[in-house]
Amino acid sequence: MTESSDRGLARERTTLAWTRSSIAFAAMGVAILKQRPVIGAPLLILSAVIWTAGRARRRPQLAGLAPRRVLFVTISVTVIAVIALVIALAGPSPRGLHL
Amino acid sequence: MAIIAFGSRPHKEPPTSSSDEGKGQTEPARPEPDVRFTLANERTFLAWARTALALVAAGLAITQLLPPFPHAPWGRPVIATPLILLGAVLPGLSYADWRRTQRAIAMGEPVPPSRLPLVLAVTVGVIALAAVGIDLYSKVSGR
Repeated sequence: MTESSDRGLARERTTLAWTRSSIAFAAMGVAILKQRPVIGAPLLILSAVIWTAGRARRRPQLAGLAPRRVLFVTISVTVIAVIALVIALAGPSPRGLHL
Repeated sequence: MAIIAFGSRPHKEPPTSSSDEGKGQTEPARPEPDVRFTLANERTFLAWARTALALVAAGLAITQLLPPFPHAPWGRPVIATPLILLGAVLPGLSYADWRRTQRAIAMGEPVPPSRLPLVLAVTVGVIALAAVGIDLYSKVSGR
């Protein structure tokens, strides 16, 4: 394998990793959407932003996104976790799914 | 830069001679880190971010979807809170790791080992044992 093709694959893997991450955000958004649309809908938007950020390297017009996208994901996940903590501790405690 | 064997670290010396990527590309003073290593570093960070999201989702599912323990109503939040807390601190910790690794790659130094796998393993292990304990407690007090 030549170095250049390996670099191409490394980029491909990284773009796929961004796609997976974006899907994880979307899945979370969809799961919450029905119960709490105020939280679910922004998560879907966040998913789209992360999808786009994952492609920033390939598109020169999005180059400004690239350096800060890792920090953006850090902040996003932290904020989601804090909101989840509030819901888990202060929100209503449903009786759960009885399967 | 000389051709680097797959998996090896980039050399410490900045590429003074002609770079093998792109002709006419002059890269002075600041050595450009090998993009394969920075990309791998980024993927590792993203994997941690998804792990954090999964922990948060698991915590939320425990408080919202899991039926309450009949004789330990405090059981669900006790299990869920540490999971979500771990999900809250992981992104920051893995961001710090990402930056540390980014710097090491740029300087051509060895990549420092990460403590995150240990943190994750110990925390999830303790929470799992606690969950078993709470379940047993709830069953025993019901008798």
